[in-house]
Amino acid sequence: MKRDQVRSSSGRRTRFAGAKAVLSGALAVSSLALISVGSATAASASAKKITVAFVVGAEADPFFISMNAGAQAEATKLGVNLIWQGNPSQYSPSTQIPIVQQVISQLQSSKPSALVLGPTDPKALQPYVNQAIKAGIPTFNVDSSVANLKKVVSFVTGNNAQGGAAAADALATAMGYKAGKKYNVAVGMTSPTATTNVLRFQGFKAEVAKKYPGIKIVAEAYSQSSPTTANSNIQGWLTKYSQGSSTALNGIFAIDGTNAEGAASALQAAGLACSATSCGSGKVALVGYDAYNTNVALLQQGIFAALIAQDPAKEGMLSVLNAYNFLTHHKVKGIKHLITLPNVTLTPKSPAALLTKYTYQTA
Amino acid sequence: MSRAVSEVVSPSSNEGEPASWARRLVGNQQFMLFVVFVAIFAFFTFNDSVFASVSEIGNNITDFSTLVLLAVGETFVIATGGIDLSVGGTSGFAGVVGAIAMEHLAPHGEWVVLGVGTLVCLGVGIGIGLINAVLMHYARLVPFVATLVTMGAAEGMSLVLTGGAPVGSNFGAITLTEPKISVFSYPDIIIILITVVAGLYLHYSKFGRYTFAIGSNSFAVRAVGVNVRRHLTWVYVLSGALAGLTGMFIYMRLGSGAPSAGVGTELVAIAAVVIGGARLTGGSAQLSGTVLGAMILTIVSSGLIIMNVSPNFNQVAVAILIALAATFQALRKGSRADV
Amino acid sequence: MSDPTPLYEARNVYKNYGSVAAVKDVSLTIHAGEIVGLVGDNGAGKSSLVKVLSGVYQPDAGQLIVDGVERHWKSPHDAMLAGVETLYQDSGLALDLTIGANVFLGREKMKPGILGRLGFLAQKEMDAEAAEDLERTGIAVHASKRTVGQLSGGQRQAVAIGRAVAWAQKVIILDEPTNHLGARQAGEVLAVMRAARERGLGVIFISHTLPHILEICDRIVVLRLGSVVRDAPTSTFTAESLLGTITGLHAE
Repeated sequence: MKRDQVRSSSGRRTRFAGAKAVLSGALAVSSLALISVGSATAASASAKKITVAFVVGAEADPFFISMNAGAQAEATKLGVNLIWQGNPSQYSPSTQIPIVQQVISQLQSSKPSALVLGPTDPKALQPYVNQAIKAGIPTFNVDSSVANLKKVVSFVTGNNAQGGAAAADALATAMGYKAGKKYNVAVGMTSPTATTNVLRFQGFKAEVAKKYPGIKIVAEAYSQSSPTTANSNIQGWLTKYSQGSSTALNGIFAIDGTNAEGAASALQAAGLACSATSCGSGKVALVGYDAYNTNVALLQQGIFAALIAQDPAKEGMLSVLNAYNFLTHHKVKGIKHLITLPNVTLTPKSPAALLTKYTYQTA
Repeated sequence: MSRAVSEVVSPSSNEGEPASWARRLVGNQQFMLFVVFVAIFAFFTFNDSVFASVSEIGNNITDFSTLVLLAVGETFVIATGGIDLSVGGTSGFAGVVGAIAMEHLAPHGEWVVLGVGTLVCLGVGIGIGLINAVLMHYARLVPFVATLVTMGAAEGMSLVLTGGAPVGSNFGAITLTEPKISVFSYPDIIIILITVVAGLYLHYSKFGRYTFAIGSNSFAVRAVGVNVRRHLTWVYVLSGALAGLTGMFIYMRLGSGAPSAGVGTELVAIAAVVIGGARLTGGSAQLSGTVLGAMILTIVSSGLIIMNVSPNFNQVAVAILIALAATFQALRKGSRADV
Repeated sequence: MSDPTPLYEARNVYKNYGSVAAVKDVSLTIHAGEIVGLVGDNGAGKSSLVKVLSGVYQPDAGQLIVDGVERHWKSPHDAMLAGVETLYQDSGLALDLTIGANVFLGREKMKPGILGRLGFLAQKEMDAEAAEDLERTGIAVHASKRTVGQLSGGQRQAVAIGRAVAWAQKVIILDEPTNHLGARQAGEVLAVMRAARERGLGVIFISHTLPHILEICDRIVVLRLGSVVRDAPTSTFTAESLLGTITGLHAE
């Protein structure tokens, strides 16, 4: 339970590795077509107002706050009645299931309606998805999915493997990668069971193997969702690879928010952090994940060489649109079953507007 | 009369006899813990000499400082026969509230900011300690449930306040946790002083005496006119206050208030107390044991990082240490019953 | 019995639990240097009366008088402060504390000067005094640094009684102090009670073990169904008549 409570930046994303593997090759282009369809049909909404209910993991997480904003904007545009539910802080099936049950009965009495669920566990939430579908409520997945996606109309999510690969590219750039030279890199993760971590790390490793033979992954450690533990892991590495005031460690991939925070503070303490103006030799290049506003601030200071950002607002927006189209046309036609949104690489040089756009919102 | 005297004396007289000092040492949990600590330290150093480097020792002391105050507070609580599950959540919540307060105070200069921040963290800790006491005394919850409630509330509130992301970045604060006197930072020294004073109070003061007495037989303590509720309130307030200070230390270490910073650390603190030889049912604990327990847990996790062993092994190692400590305690108790 | 002011006196005391009257109109006196036996069948009201006398319960009606002054106990601690010590059936010792710590529990001596003000204990002094106190009441326990948990059952009881006798200024109430003890150990407990009597304390001795009552008490008070049915010198009882009075099977 504990690990789940702080899911904010760790294992929130889907745990369904199989589905993700299929998704990893998919492109997001298809979604562009859908946007225009949605806009066109907005005016001709059917007599009865459509209700779309989202049930997410942890409502207060900026990731979901951003998703909510995207969903709300789209709902307003389409004249859809949006219900937004989720436990404030606990990312756990035990708190999510009662909410889902409640929402299903609510939706039954306000048809036409659809359920958009970001399941906190692929197996535990499966029966409730089945129940909703049986009750005639079309069901969608967002961000994470249930184990059996067959009857789910559509699943919109970020592409973790692509994000991991993008992180490898960003890190190589930040270290000034040159063929023939050797680079030591460490990876800070949350836990061995968080599939988001695993997928990002797999993508990272695959990209390194493909493009950067000089990069050696010398250490991996788990923070168990605690930035303090992440900090102490990274302190240990810095000591191990220390060479006087310099270091033999060239880069760190902080795979999630807690590691980003722990790494940034450990590098600051050791005087090995890069700055906006320089990230020369003897400093450690840091690439992080998720555009929480504190991370973006550190990016602007140059402590992060790059941040890999997801696009939760777009996930929310597309989910509403898909639900609307399905309910309006009563068929799956034109709605892609799996929609994988690529992650975006943000750097200190990214334009301010881009940084603002991708920074996760707070309440 | 003389008959009574002789009878009561006789069975005791052989126990104080000089068993060989070696046997006494082996029977002494603190000594055994020290041996274990040295052995583990030697093992890691043998594996990679960097483990004994000044810089790594400094890292270890920082980790130790993050843990030990939680374990000290937990020692008092466990000595009364209670448990405080809220210390981890409290430290995180205190750090978050402190960070937010300090962010607002930023224009007032560093020492005002840190001073007030420390007081805010302390205040949050004391507040949660009081809530624990109220839940126990008025809502009649057992300590496990009362502190489980506040643990969840504190962790949840941290997330609600921050939206899951760290707040109040102040990287200037990080420099405070860097070594200043030999391998110790100023906060390290303050934390060590607090630990020593707490140890003196636990074992040599009236407050400590009642702490153990309540854990041993609270009825007896009440019968002699001690206000047990009030004493327990102080114990949980102490535990909360130390958790609050830990929150401040974590803030300085990370340079921001992190909502998930303290999550799960209550279990590490309890592990340190148990490894240190305390009895979970109360009445028996040694602060020196707790400190050694915290030292051992600290070097085990940092040593495994240096060795680059699968981090999952850390949990296994802690489990083994707890099992060994508990077994040792049980064996020692068994041998005493034989006397 | 001619002393006009008893050490401790209960006058027309009542204690009800809801509609059940546990103690009905009980009057009782204890004089200095006297051991009074309090006997009765299970449910006769002994425990309730003891709890009223020791301050655990407040009587619903009636008076409690110590040395001629009426008192109202709010807690056992009040009674203790007035010189009335009670030894409970479950002994009231903290097993993990040393003998010395137990003897001084709730009455700790502090170190002189600033250390004492800061809350630190004068442990050596307390250990020495505890050993002395226990010895004076006929109990010698070596090494008062050992915990009570390390003592045998009889030794524990001896420490508990020794503590009560050492602190009692006026009256000591012993609730089943010989329970679970072997004959020899029980004999020692009785010896401690005699020592207390010699010190001029009033002793109330509650027991089911009638031979002990007959052996040591100066006077016996018999309770039945919450009321005193007989209060007379021990010499007026035989084992048979005492049993008969307790059970009410034949009139005395």
